[in-house]
Amino acid sequence: MADLSVNGVRLHVQRLGAGDRLAVFVHGLVMDNLSSFYFTLATPAAAHRAVRLYDLRGHGLSERPAAGYAVADFVADLAALVDAESPGAPVDVIGNSFGGLIALAFAHAHPARVASLVLIDAHDGTAGWAAQMAATLGLQGQARDEKIAASFQAWLGRHSERKRTRLADHARALVEGTTLVADLEASPPLDLAQLATIAAPALLLYGERSDVRDRGAALAAALPHATLEIVAGCTHSILWEATALVRDRVVAWLEAR
Amino acid sequence: MTLDPATAAILATVERLVIEVAGDEITLAGPLTLTTSFNADLELESIEFVALAEQLQAHYGAQVDFVGWISTKQLDEIIALTVGDLVTFIAART
Repeated sequence: MADLSVNGVRLHVQRLGAGDRLAVFVHGLVMDNLSSFYFTLATPAAAHRAVRLYDLRGHGLSERPAAGYAVADFVADLAALVDAESPGAPVDVIGNSFGGLIALAFAHAHPARVASLVLIDAHDGTAGWAAQMAATLGLQGQARDEKIAASFQAWLGRHSERKRTRLADHARALVEGTTLVADLEASPPLDLAQLATIAAPALLLYGERSDVRDRGAALAAALPHATLEIVAGCTHSILWEATALVRDRVVAWLEAR
Repeated sequence: MTLDPATAAILATVERLVIEVAGDEITLAGPLTLTTSFNADLELESIEFVALAEQLQAHYGAQVDFVGWISTKQLDEIIALTVGDLVTFIAART
């Protein structure tokens, strides 16, 4: 398996395409992994960039350390990956949901490393997001399993019994067996003034019926060079609900710069 | 059904690699056949599918561009993929 050790943790990495310019894709929290991008955006994007997909620490086929899940840890992993895969050259970062939050925090911490951002129904990491996340992940037993199942109704082809069980087992091990929830809750929130310092151009795609749609509007106002598109009829899962639209927008975005 | 030796060999390789990425309980319901569906029958997780693609590439080399092939398909086609589809794809390129 292709992997890369960063900050003492082995990360599963998939490399597609070729060239000097890199695009890095960052997936969402707990129930997600790099396969979401692998089957949707990676190959079309690879016509325009060298593409890197990776499983966040604790997720997919990456190592799951017992501790070290603050936003800063995820940002440090992304920074190390970018350093290793694209030394010296800024990269396009595409993040979905929590992956968008990591992309934002990365752009704030390492502005010189970011050529552009694409945020797909991203959490913005401002005050309150962690409590909301913890309230969901902190549910116990059946309540959480049901919440997890409900969150992933839209994930086509994912609801068979074996997969639901394995995904739930994986989620449980991450949520109950590591410091993830506590670490995220303890992570200092970003504020809009910090986000306003992010000079990289940003494309924001949000679902019309998403529970974080207002975050898209707030980000569009805070980021100096942002383009916001609200995708009609979609919930938070726009990567699955409007795959073709998201793919077209991301490809056009990469092609144009 | 009797398979020709080339097809049988590819099927055996695919079965071995599937077990490698998903564990041997994956074949508890019986050995893989050409009509076995990756999603409905094997219930292979998406991330296991990614790992399988990597194993196939490592085994067959660059001429079996599994990722490129998958990328030409719609999501519902990927979900409906059978072992036979994959074997046919490999057979045409090896």
